[in-house]
Amino acid sequence: MTPAISVAGLTRRYRDQVALDDVSVEIEAGSITGLLGRNGAGKTTLLRILAGQEFQSSGTVNVLGAPPAENEHVLRRMVFVREDQAYPDFKVRHALRAASWFYPNWDAGLADELIADFDLRPNKVIKKLSRGMRSALGITIGLAARAEVTLFDEPYAGLDAVARQIFYDRLLTDYAECPRTILLSTHLIDEAAALFESVVVIDRGRVVLEAAADGLRGIATTVSGPVLAVDEFTAGRPVWNRRRLGSQASVVTVGQLDEAARAKARSLGLDLMPLTLQQLVVHAAEWPASPEAANLPPQAMEGASA
Amino acid sequence: MSTLVKVARYHLVQPFQYLLLTWMVLAFTFVVNVVIFGVTPVRQHMVPTANGLVSAASMDGRYTGALCSFFIIFLVLGVQSIGRSLPFGLTLGVSRRSYYMGTALLAVVLACADGLALAALQAIERGTGGWGVQMGFFRVPYLLNGPWYQTWLTSFVGLGLLFVYGMWFGIVYRRWSLVGTLAFIAAQVTVLLGAALVITWAHGWTGVGHFFTGLTVAGLTGLLAVLAVGLLAGGHATIRRATV
Repeated sequence: MTPAISVAGLTRRYRDQVALDDVSVEIEAGSITGLLGRNGAGKTTLLRILAGQEFQSSGTVNVLGAPPAENEHVLRRMVFVREDQAYPDFKVRHALRAASWFYPNWDAGLADELIADFDLRPNKVIKKLSRGMRSALGITIGLAARAEVTLFDEPYAGLDAVARQIFYDRLLTDYAECPRTILLSTHLIDEAAALFESVVVIDRGRVVLEAAADGLRGIATTVSGPVLAVDEFTAGRPVWNRRRLGSQASVVTVGQLDEAARAKARSLGLDLMPLTLQQLVVHAAEWPASPEAANLPPQAMEGASA
Repeated sequence: MSTLVKVARYHLVQPFQYLLLTWMVLAFTFVVNVVIFGVTPVRQHMVPTANGLVSAASMDGRYTGALCSFFIIFLVLGVQSIGRSLPFGLTLGVSRRSYYMGTALLAVVLACADGLALAALQAIERGTGGWGVQMGFFRVPYLLNGPWYQTWLTSFVGLGLLFVYGMWFGIVYRRWSLVGTLAFIAAQVTVLLGAALVITWAHGWTGVGHFFTGLTVAGLTGLLAVLAVGLLAGGHATIRRATV
C-alpha cells in the first residue's frame, strides 16, 4: 500500500535554529496517527510543510503521491486545521461558505450539525470568538471538508472537556463512515490515545519514536518495590529510567513482559504498571539522540521475553 | 467554477469593504466637498458668445481633486487582500499562484465596474452644472476630463494599478514584515533616484519635459497599464515563496 504521506530526509533550518532535522516518516493511507512531542519540537513546522504553507530546506515530501507545495491537485484533497489559524474579517458563516466552495467533498449537513453541537453561532464575527470557539470552527471545517488527508494541529486549544469529547466522537463516527488519513498533533496525549492507530513522536526536530499504537501497549513497564527486588528483576533488562527513594526503587523497563516475568514480579512483591502513551512520550523525548532510537529496538523486546 | 473565480468570490464572501466601504468613503468625501463648495462663491469670467462677451461661472479653482481618496482606498484594499486573507486562502487548499491570479481578477473586475460608475457620475456632474454648486469632483483637469469612455478607461487602469501595487506591498510585508517593506520602498526610491541621475548626466530633462507635455491622456493611460502589468509580474514573483 502506498503511504498517504511520505517524508524523507526532511530538514527545515531557520536562521538560528533547526526546526526539523532529517525527518523521515511514512503515514499509511486510511489511518489516524498521533503526532506527539513537546512545544517547539517541530510538529507545527512539519504539518505546515505537509500542507504546502511552509517550504523545506532540504529533503523530499510527498502527499498523495506528489510534492504538495503549489500543487493544487494535492492541496484541494487536503485540509489543515491550525491552532493559530488567521481568518479575514469574516463571520462564522462566511468561513463555512468559502470552505464549501473549495473542498470537493464538503459535507454541509455535517458542518451544520457540528456548529450546533459546539453551539457556534453563524453570525458571530470570528475575531470576537473565544479561543475555544475558534478551535470549534477549525474542527468543523476540518471534519466537514472530508478531505482525503486531514491535518489537525492542536485542534482543540481552549476547548472544554465536553466539546473535546464531541470532537473525539464525531471524528471517530465520521472516520468510520468516510475513511481518510488523519494526522493529529496534540498535547493531551492520554485523552486522545484511544484514537490513534499509530504514533509519531518528535523531539527537537527529530523523530524519536514511530510505531503502531497496539505495539506500544505494554512495551514499557514501571517496576516498583524494594530496591533489592527491583534490581533482581531488572537485571539484564533494558532500562530507561531509574528512581530511588530510600529503600524503594522505581524503574522503567523496556519490552513486553511475559507470564513468567509477571509471576516472578509477583513473587518478589513488585508493582508492575504499564506506561501510558503520555509517559512513553515523555521518556521517548529523554532518549539519547541515537539513530536506533527512531524505532523501538527489537533486541529490547527479545531481551525482555528471554 | 474555476479556482480563480472561486478566489475572487472568496474575497467577496464578506462584501463590505470591497463593495460598500469604498463608496461610503467616497460619499462622505463628496458631501464634505459639496458643503465647502456650496458656501464658496463662484468666480465669474467673460466668455465670448454669439451675443458678444457674456459673464459665466468659471471653473477656476472649482476642481476638488478629492476623488483621489477613492483611488487610495484601492491601494489599501490591495494590501488587505493579501495581508488579511492569504492565510485562510492557503488553508482552503489554494496555491499561491491561483490565490494571486484570483485576487488580481477581483482587482480587474472591481476597477472595471467602479471605473464605469465614476464615468457615469462624471456625466451626471456635467449635466447638473457641477451638482448645482459648480464643483468639479468627478472631473479632474487633464486626467479625467474627456469623454466618458476615456474616463472609464483611465480610472479602470488607475484603480487596477493601485490595487495591484497594494497587493505587492501586502506580499512584501507578509514575507519580510516592516523592515522589508521599508527596504522595498527604499529600493523604489533608489531606482527613481538612479533614473533621475542618469537623465541629468545625459542632459535629458528637456526631452523628458517634451515627452510629458506632449503626452495625451490616452498615452498616459497606456503607460500606466504597462506599469500595472509590471507590478503584477513583480508581485507574482514575490508571492511564490510566501509562507503563512
